[in-house]
Order: sequence, then C-alpha cells, then structure tokens
Amino acid sequence: MTTLHRRTVLASGAAAGAGLAAAAQSPAAGQLSPPGIFRHGVASGDPLARQVVLWTRVTPSPDATPGSGLGPATKVRWEVARDASFRKVVSAGTVTTTAARDHTVKVDAGGLEPETWYHYRFVSGGVTSPVGRTRTAPDEASTPDHLRLGVVSCANLQAGWFSAYRHLAARDDLHAILHLGDYLYEYGPGEYGYGRANVDVRPHDPATEMVQLADYRRRHAQYKQDPDLQALHARYPFIVTWDDHEVTNDAWRGGAENHQPEEGDYTLRRDRSHRAYDEWMPVRMDGTATLDDGTRLFRRLTFGRLAEISMLDLRTYRDQQAATPLLDPAVDDPERTIAGRAQLDWLKASLTAPAQWKLVGNPVMIAPVTFAQVPQALIGPVDDVTGILPRDGAPYNVDQWDGYTDDRREVLTHIRDRGVRDVVFLTGDIHSAWACDLPYDAATYPLGDSAGVEFVCTSVTSNNLDDITGAPPRTASLTVEAAIQTSNRHVRYLNFDDHGYSVFDVTPARAQMDYYVIGDRADRNAPAAWATSWATRSGTSKVMPVDRPVTGA
Amino acid sequence: MCEPTPHTRRPAFADGLDEIRTGRRSLLKVVGAGGAAVAISTAVGSAPAAAARSPKRAYVLVLDGCRPDEVTAPLMPRAAALRDAGLNHPFASSMPIMETIPNHVMMMTGVRPDRSGVPANSVYDRTEGVVRDLDRPGDITIGTVIERLNDAGLTTGTVLSKEYLYGVFGARATHRWEPAPVIPVSGHAPDVATMDAALAMLDAHDPDMVFINLGDIDRVGHSDLTGPLSLRLARQAALAATDLQVGRFVDELVRSGRWQDSIVIVLADHSMDWSRPASIIHLQPVLDADPLLAGHVVIADNGGADLLYWTGDPASRGAAVARMIALASDTPGVLEALDPLVDPTLRTGPLGGDVVVHARAGWRFTDPDIWSNPIPGNHGHPATRPIPWFIGGGHPVVPRGATASEQARTLDVAPTLADFFGVGAPVGGYDGTSRLA
Repeated sequence: MTTLHRRTVLASGAAAGAGLAAAAQSPAAGQLSPPGIFRHGVASGDPLARQVVLWTRVTPSPDATPGSGLGPATKVRWEVARDASFRKVVSAGTVTTTAARDHTVKVDAGGLEPETWYHYRFVSGGVTSPVGRTRTAPDEASTPDHLRLGVVSCANLQAGWFSAYRHLAARDDLHAILHLGDYLYEYGPGEYGYGRANVDVRPHDPATEMVQLADYRRRHAQYKQDPDLQALHARYPFIVTWDDHEVTNDAWRGGAENHQPEEGDYTLRRDRSHRAYDEWMPVRMDGTATLDDGTRLFRRLTFGRLAEISMLDLRTYRDQQAATPLLDPAVDDPERTIAGRAQLDWLKASLTAPAQWKLVGNPVMIAPVTFAQVPQALIGPVDDVTGILPRDGAPYNVDQWDGYTDDRREVLTHIRDRGVRDVVFLTGDIHSAWACDLPYDAATYPLGDSAGVEFVCTSVTSNNLDDITGAPPRTASLTVEAAIQTSNRHVRYLNFDDHGYSVFDVTPARAQMDYYVIGDRADRNAPAAWATSWATRSGTSKVMPVDRPVTGA
Repeated sequence: MCEPTPHTRRPAFADGLDEIRTGRRSLLKVVGAGGAAVAISTAVGSAPAAAARSPKRAYVLVLDGCRPDEVTAPLMPRAAALRDAGLNHPFASSMPIMETIPNHVMMMTGVRPDRSGVPANSVYDRTEGVVRDLDRPGDITIGTVIERLNDAGLTTGTVLSKEYLYGVFGARATHRWEPAPVIPVSGHAPDVATMDAALAMLDAHDPDMVFINLGDIDRVGHSDLTGPLSLRLARQAALAATDLQVGRFVDELVRSGRWQDSIVIVLADHSMDWSRPASIIHLQPVLDADPLLAGHVVIADNGGADLLYWTGDPASRGAAVARMIALASDTPGVLEALDPLVDPTLRTGPLGGDVVVHARAGWRFTDPDIWSNPIPGNHGHPATRPIPWFIGGGHPVVPRGATASEQARTLDVAPTLADFFGVGAPVGGYDGTSRLA
C-alpha cells in the first residue's frame, strides 16, 4: 500500500513534474541495458529440487517493443549448464514466442540436480543472451545446514535507484531472492515519486498510470531494463508474490483505492495486470510456467527438511478494506477475509508441513499494531455494549491483517491448536523494518505465548515516514516508533525511516534477519550499511537482538 | 490426563513386592545421596557385570510433561547446557495419544501403539468391561529395547517415578527401583528421590542403560492453578528444581568417569496445556442424548483426548461412529473427532477406541462425569505435541553443538539405543529412527 491516496498524489504531482525531467536526463538514467534482442535481461525463479523457471524477453524487430503487439514469431533456444562457458549443457530446448505474449519467454527447465548452481542463457537469431546463474532447491528429504535469502519489497522506480538490488547482487552467499511485492508501481510520472515533493528520480514509462495491458507490459519492461534489477535477476532465482501495486493501490477482490470508474471494469484491469505479470515474471502461476492456465499465485517451495516457504496472495481474494480504521467493527467481521477460504485452508495445511521452519511470504503485516490495548477477556463484554471495539484493539492500518482479524485469529488459533512451532512471517508492504513476536493476546503480552515471529523488510525505494513528514531521518520517527512499541510490547524493533534490503538466514537452530540500509535513493551509487539483526531461536517463537549479521557461505 | 484415576485398583507396587517375596527378584537396599534408603530389585539369574564389559553407557532422562520452550538457560541452565553442547532436535514431537504411558512405551519399543498395544493412559478394556489404565506388564505386546539389551548380555535399569510406569514396564529391566516415598495423591515419587535412586543404581550396579522418569514437572503442571493465566508460578519452580536433578546426574557421570563413554537422551513424553475452569468439554451427556448412542458409548478420558468406544451392536458401528464424530465435532472446544480406522496419523490400534476426540488448546475433557477432571493442566491433544529432544554426553558418537532439522519423536529412543549398542530391530523394524544415524 501507499499512504498517499490518489487525490493527494494528483495534487502534489504536478508541482514536482519540472524536477523530474531533469533527473531523468541525468547520465545515470542512461545506464539502461543497450538495445539488442535481449535488452530486458534474463531471470530465473521458483526453484524446485530438479527444475527452475527461466525467463527472458526478445525484441526480434525494431517494432516489437513491449506492449506494441507487433513483431514476428521468434524461435528461442534455452540452455542450462553446470559451467559458465556452457561446455556441460544439462538441459536445453527451443520455444517460439510471439507478440501475443509480448515476446516473453518462460520455460520450466527440468532434468536438474538438487541444491546445485547452474548457468543459463538464451539464443535467438544468432544472438546469445547475457548468462544468468541460478540454483535448484535441496531435495525434499535432505537436511541442508542453512538457507539464505535476500529479502526485498516496494521498489518504486520513480522514487529512486535500486541500490538495494545492486548490493544484494554483489553478495555471493545467497540462495535466492524473496520479493514480497510491489515489484513495480502503477503511477504515472508526477504521482508518488521521491520524498514529500514527489520528485520523480526516474519517470515511469508509459507516462500514465498503467491501466491497459500495454501499459502493464511497458511498465514491466521498463523495470526489467533497470541495471540493478537486471543484475540481481541474473545472479539469483527470485521467489515472488505480488502486493497491491502490481495492479493498483490498496487493491481488493472487487476494486482498489486507486481505481476509478472511468478506468473501466476493475476485474478486467486486474486480469490484464495478472496477464502481464505472468508474462514478465519468472514465476509459476497455477503451478506452471505456461500462460493462459490460471493465475493462482499462492504456492509452496520446499527446501529439504529445513524449511518450506508458503507464498501468499493477499489481494486477489480479500474483501474491501474497512472504511474507518480506528472504529469500524467490520475489521472483526468473520464474514470478511483477507486470504479467501481456499487460501486460508491451504495456509493452515502448510503450517503443519513436515519441514522444520514454516516460512510465510506475507505481502502485508500480520502482527497486530494497535494504539488501544484492552485485555481480550474484556473485549467480548465491552463489545456486547458498544459493538465498536475491535477484538484485537484499535488497529491503525486496516489494509493489513489488522483489518481482517478473524482470518488472523483463525491462523494463530490453528498454530496453537496443532502445536505448530517455528513459524516465521516474512513481510513487506509498509516501507519500514520491523521484528515482532506474534502474541495470542497482544493486550497482556509478554504474559502468554507467541505463535511465531514476523520480520518485515523495508522498501527498496518507496517513501516511508521521514520522506512523508519531511523531518530529518531518525528524529520525528523516533517518537512514533516509541509510541508504537509502548502500545505493542511484541514489537521489538521498528525503523520507519530507512530504505534498503534484508538478508534472511535460517538454520536448524535459528532464523535470523539482517537489516541493511542504503544511502540516498536519488544517489545512483548509494552505499549500504548493516543496521541491525534480529533472530528467533527454534522453538521459542520470540525474536531477540543479534550482535552481527551473517557472513560467509 | 495422567492423574491417577479412581476407577481401577492400582496393583503395580503390590505385584512388585510379590516378585521380591517369591524370589523372582532380589532386593538391595543402599543409602542414597540424601541419606535415605534406596531399594533396588534385581532380576534373579541376571549375569553380574563382567569385568571386561564395554564401557558404553546410555541414559534416557524423561522430563515428564516438559515443554521445549521451558528449557531455557535462565530457568533450566543445566538442561539447556546439555542440549546446547550436544545434538538438539528442536522439531520434536510426542505421538498420539500424547499421554505418559503410551509415549514411554513408544520410547522403549520404538513402534506405534497399533504394534505395541498401548495407545493411551486410560482405555476401555472390553474384556474386563472397565475403563482402566494400561499399567500392567502384559499390556505391552511387543518386545522392548530393554529386553533386546538384556538378551545381548547387557544390563538395564528402570528408575520410574510414576506408579503406572513402574507397573507397565514391570520386571523387564535387570535392575528396578522400588519407588519410595510415593506421594499418595499424585502416585509419583518426587524428583529428588528419583535422582537419589538413579545415582544409587549407577553406584551399585552400573547398568549399561538406565531409563529414568522425573515426574515433578508434569505433576506440578497438572495442578498449577496459575497455568491458565500464563503465570505458571508453581510450574516454573518445578522446572528449576528438576533442573538441579539433571545437574546432579551430569555431575555424577563426570565425577565417576562415565561421561566420555555415555550418551544421555533427554526428552519429554508430552507437553502441557492449561485450561480455565469454564473451558471444559463434557461429551457423555451429548452422546447419551442421541437415540442411537444412548447407553452404548463408553468414554476413556485422557485429559486432552477422549476415546469413545461403541458398545452396541457391532453391525451398527459405522453409523455409531458417524454419529459420534458429528456430535463431538459440534461441541465447543473440540478440535477434531477422528475415526482411527480412517485417519492414518493415529495408529492407536484396537484398544484406542472407535473415535478419538481431540480438544482445542486451552480446553480439556471431563468424562464421564462433570467432576471427573478438575485439573487445569492437561495433555493428550495436538497442542501438547511439542517436546524437548536432545542427546548429550561425552561419547564420541554425540555431535557437538549440533542442531538437526529432522523431526524427532518419542519413537526414536529405542532405535537410537539399539543403534548405539548394536542390538538390532524387532521383526517388522522400528517405526522410529535412530537419531545417531
């Protein structure tokens, strides 16, 4: 979600427009990949033990630009090898792509060995693509000593450079990248840029909000030409889910905050965005890499006995957000859902999987965040009288699980009823970094037990609190952070100001999140620095500070 | 529920005395570390310890009812240190029914209840027409690893603090503690007395394998009235006290020079969950109100699990099971009602009832009467599956400071012991897995 609503964005966008063009013309903006048949790079994703999704896009003719619907059918050969020089090709094939799929190529390369690094490339018209590197998952029965993921979310191209991606790509110790959503943004230039003035460090293409299929395709194409994102895609397989901005802000199953009637039928718009996502992302939808066979995104990826990741889709099936965050009893309505019945049952089954760590790729925050704590035992009686007190206290953000407390209660109750341990929610969305326990009763916590933990990564570039308030970093936000932590004793770490990325490392003994922050997003070469680390020891369901980040392989 | 139940006589200690009086076991009384007399019986005819016997030793230390998140350095420093220095299995589970007797039996047999004959603490015995505890030596219908070790010429010992555990394992071990004192209400010996006995047994007989149950954590947990409030004040005191006994045991192994030859398997038989007085599930009247079921269902209450037995026309079993499942599933506090013939996870066997009903976390059963189960702490339901499971000791086979992601179970103790001593598996193999493999 973005905290700026569309009206605010439109009002501030025009004023910022002049500065944007200048920024876009800077030499740095010219560092896109050179024209060529493989100008959108290569990518891989959804690693299984013996197969992985490979992706690229070809531009076979000058008119075959993204979203154009033009250009000839083109044969593309793909190859997977154990070595970067491709002397030991272990899997290969040829596919034909057309304008009907925007000349994207997505194959599910099989015949691979578990827990193995591979190199892959594409060949078309005598031209060879850049070489990508990917890694298969461990076999289901294996016991890997660790799994290490880069964790990112909320990368708004207009708000700055993707230095977080560049720094992750420079590491050599990861197994995959977990992207928790808001991989791209729907806004046009002048809407939702850098800082309080919404300056566009780089303007979006097309120069309009994406609504039509061609818009979504062009926007994906623009992001895929970012050199830092290209480098990261080529370096590691991605495990992705979407949040709202892949369609539009604050999406729900029947609409979105940033969808107006004049933009047409919302469901058709969402279908177009999902189509473009399926074309342009290295992900299996409905369990396959083929198009036109469904767009179910929630899925599991297993990493031996050590861990299983359940990737959630919390936008496609949810009911509309409650209207008034602090007082609307709808947040507790058991008829309202954030996950949908089928996905909720699927998630509950995931949590009783035989893997030790149950990791949940969670697009929006699940830990309760409230400003008014009332013991749960008193909420029922008070509700009988007033009917206004949310069961888990007064939430501040009803776009996340706080706005759908019955679903959350069902998940947490399931964890408790089944004696499930080692549950970790890995979350994006809110442009800030958090480490939290997941109390069964936030009002009395730390008295009582915790169902698991939640680590929230901050945004790659999207604005956060200091950007919105205009206050210097680590000044005004400190007061807000302290207030939230005072009212929410399960929130152990909170940083509302910084942008960056995280590294998540899980071993049989513990799961650890390292938080890295970058410098100025407008700086093409912004440095990165380690900020803090938090971990949960297996079996404890509580986070604790750690004095150093993970290093080495 | 592992509180003593009033519906059967408990003859275990009396049977043990008979074995001594009739000369089948000899009795040795030694002075324990605390100064009190410790009585250890030994099977007559067992071979005395050979001078050149292997120095390998294995000890199984059951922290009865302990939750894995309770083994923390501040609360249980000795147990935590043992865990952290050895091989820890944080993903470890008790097995259905998550009760004391079946899980101790699973530890020593390495097989599920449909093979061992012991699915729960309390069952309905159709032959005798009574609900009774499975506390008789003949209730275990398969050989245990204790007998396998004995048959291999090794010596074994049981130091079991609970009367029904003493009963079900009977005279299997070469050396057996004759528990005293036993707290009348709880039917168990306090941990300090149990550890006195364990150390005395080591000193007097030095068995190759000793199986020890420390019952205080469980017993105090059952009755801790602050449990439902998440305070667990009495429980925490018990955890700290039991940890002292763990420390005494480790210290003795080091002092006596056994440490470098030993493995020490530490685990619990089940976890513990607390319920408020109003969070009770009383199924008997629900079933009695049904025309088909009335008068034809017997319930064996196991705290967090009710076992329902159809006693009517066998031809109507299918319909009766369906009715029991439907009625139980609609009762507040019930997590699930399962047909063991259909559900593959239970493997409770013929003694385990026609329907197994599990409570939600924070609830307990009380059957057949509303007053049958007044205690706040219970187990038997899936919420009480998590257990600590780790191997310490100085023997080179024990990994140092390692943590494993594989799921460990109570079932894994016997195959681990068999692996360590090289005594093989029963016909049909173990259902568990050696954690030293």
